[in-house]
Amino acid sequence: MQVNPLKSDGTTTVLEEHLQRLGSKSGVVATVVVDTPTGAIIKSQGELPPSHGSRTRIGADEETASGTQSEGIEELASMVWNFVKTAGGLVQGLDSEDELKLLRLRTKKYELVIVPDPKFLLIVVHNTPAA
Amino acid sequence: MQQRRDEILAKKAKLAELKRQRELRSRDASASRASIGGPSDLATAIPARAENRAALDSLVNDILGSGKRSPARKGSRPNSVLSAGELSVETSDLASPSNGQTVPPSLSISTQTLSTVPLSTVYEFPPSPVKEVFSYSKGVQTTEDWATQTSGPRTYPDSEDDDEPPATATSPSKRLSRRERDREEELRQNLRKEIEEELKAARDLVADGILQHSSDEATANFPARTLTSEELKAVTSSDDFMDFVERSSKVIERALDQEYDILADYALSGANGIEDDDVEFGNRRRRVKEVAQFYDERWSKKRMISAIDFSPKFPELVLAAYTKNPSAPHDPDGLVQVWNMHLHDRPEFVFHAQSDVTAAKFSPFHPNLIAGGAYSGQVMLWDTRAKSSPVQKTPLTGSGHTHPVYSVDIVGTQNANNIISCSTDGVVCGWTVDMLAQPQELLTLTTPPPAKTEDLSPTCMAFPQTDPTYFLVGSEEGTIFPCHRYDRAGAKAGVDQRVSYRGHAAPVMSMNFHPARGPIDLGDLVLTSSLDWSVKLWKVRAPAATSTTGITGETQSVTPVLDFTREDVVYDAAWSPVKPGVFSLVDGAGSLEIWDITVDTEVPIAKAQPSVRKGGRNLMSKSLNRVAWEETEGKRVAVGGIDGTVTVFEVGPDLGGKESARNEEWANVKKLIARLEASTNGSTNGLNAV
Repeated sequence: MQVNPLKSDGTTTVLEEHLQRLGSKSGVVATVVVDTPTGAIIKSQGELPPSHGSRTRIGADEETASGTQSEGIEELASMVWNFVKTAGGLVQGLDSEDELKLLRLRTKKYELVIVPDPKFLLIVVHNTPAA
Repeated sequence: MQQRRDEILAKKAKLAELKRQRELRSRDASASRASIGGPSDLATAIPARAENRAALDSLVNDILGSGKRSPARKGSRPNSVLSAGELSVETSDLASPSNGQTVPPSLSISTQTLSTVPLSTVYEFPPSPVKEVFSYSKGVQTTEDWATQTSGPRTYPDSEDDDEPPATATSPSKRLSRRERDREEELRQNLRKEIEEELKAARDLVADGILQHSSDEATANFPARTLTSEELKAVTSSDDFMDFVERSSKVIERALDQEYDILADYALSGANGIEDDDVEFGNRRRRVKEVAQFYDERWSKKRMISAIDFSPKFPELVLAAYTKNPSAPHDPDGLVQVWNMHLHDRPEFVFHAQSDVTAAKFSPFHPNLIAGGAYSGQVMLWDTRAKSSPVQKTPLTGSGHTHPVYSVDIVGTQNANNIISCSTDGVVCGWTVDMLAQPQELLTLTTPPPAKTEDLSPTCMAFPQTDPTYFLVGSEEGTIFPCHRYDRAGAKAGVDQRVSYRGHAAPVMSMNFHPARGPIDLGDLVLTSSLDWSVKLWKVRAPAATSTTGITGETQSVTPVLDFTREDVVYDAAWSPVKPGVFSLVDGAGSLEIWDITVDTEVPIAKAQPSVRKGGRNLMSKSLNRVAWEETEGKRVAVGGIDGTVTVFEVGPDLGGKESARNEEWANVKKLIARLEASTNGSTNGLNAV
């Protein structure tokens, strides 16, 4: 098998391209890739206002210093991460051989499209089209 | 319990006897032995004693010498009893003082040891092998360890003291044993409390459920830590991550591209619900509406579309084959992209070839396979489960094609099918799907005798739906020849010399057999398009008929049944898969036309042009090369051309869609053809007569 020419010109560019395209779709507010086992944010794009009233994580990391939008992303990632865990538990509880494949969460403001995977988690937040 | 107590008493008496004798003998040695024989001695002694009598002697020795250690053992003893059951704790409590009280008076010297021996030995060994296993919880065992360790050092000096003055042994021992008992009691209480707590905790855990537990855990360790840049790099460049992003972003794009809002509430706002009406056309049933356009900035750029095909298995997938991008010499020349109707911005799959792909087709027998032909003469096979390079391709040697392959087809049945390819030097090859190293059959087509030259350069090839051994080739000179793959009665393999279809004055660009799927067989109707600005309809002679009529040996020339003259070169024409009289064509001016011969044979029913993509398509790049119908529904038509954009149109219910195909349409087509045939025959007869 030959080397995939898609990948030959740098793996990250293709990756960036995919995320870029996702991000450039109309209505998309943010995209986040999270490492499933640890919950660490691998890649994020776009910004999200931090939720008010909820506990703010006082992290020693520089993200809090860099601005509020990354804080919003981080908060989103942590909440989604927990949510996916719970949802996965639910699916496992219903049928132990089943597996969570996709989550679409519609709210009044946004829609979250979440692709869970044993290793990674892709979250896309986009504005709900006016219904 | 009573029985055991009797047993114990008996044993005790025996032990006392033995001890007394032995003590006399080895009083001196015992002190040193005690210091040498550490706790390990005791540990080994216990099981040994339980096994045989010989060991009992040595044990007694040990106990005599190291009476100080028995309290330590005592610390552990209650544990076993306690765990054996609450009841046994009570009874042992009762038992031990009574033992201690009854035995000591009868023994003058070693009261102290005697009082302790029964406590440590008797209750230690019988329950332990049996009950320990299932009645101990892990927590209890660990606390037992703790108890022995802490009680050990504390009791040590005490018993040392007791050992030294044997005369006053009785009263200290009593005091000691009471102290010990108190301590025991204390330990027991502690243990009981601990066990109770543990049980309670376990109950809580079960009752409260895993949810609380896991959520605690989850909130506790989210984000475990932020990854360092190296780690990030390692993760982002891993194949796993690439695969994941590839897959998941596709899923999300599909989700986002879904235009219909499933939460739409039509009761709330009426504005969105109404579909835009094609008022200009007046008839929505015959409209042609553009539904999607596919173009990839990275791959489609500066390439021309050379083939389009809808997947027979997944109606939303459409493939497009592309020629090379002259401005990107490092990119692979050949390209096939599979587009998904639900994924607008990127292809579902991208396949490569080393040479321009000039033909490509989904295998009708395997949903994952795509067969293609290249300008280099190679025939290749891609698999949607594999990576972008072909899973199989023919070698660049003389064994197969040496000229561009402009036509490939996969014919046969589910279990026995072949890839048939045709190159411009007149070579037709048959390949097995499993092995492309060598052609299974090779046929060289030649122009039948009356021609000036033997050379035949096919531009296209078409198989009828029913017969995989017979096909037509359209040539560069405009003549269409019927061919046989194998020798058959009255005809050799190769070009059938007795019949030719003459009518086109320029290279034939496409040929399409009628997809006979209706109540009346129209499988002998062939639609051809040509650079002579026309599309022609032919009624093909059945191969069997040709063998009987060709007795004279003369070449019979067949003329088209119907001629559609257009205003530009026609690159492709294709029958609708569901409507018997409907076909579509694309021309050099960049328009798609939909015809229905049952309605009108002079003008198209509908005409449309792909919308101009931003930044693309100047006047010179409007031309459309290929057109293809989606086969299961017959509602969508894909077109593509010089500018590399695939445009998908949806036709109105009069032009496509299964539900509207009426039986009389088939009859109408049949009648029309019969009428036209009669008139053309009449005219040719007339000409012959003249």
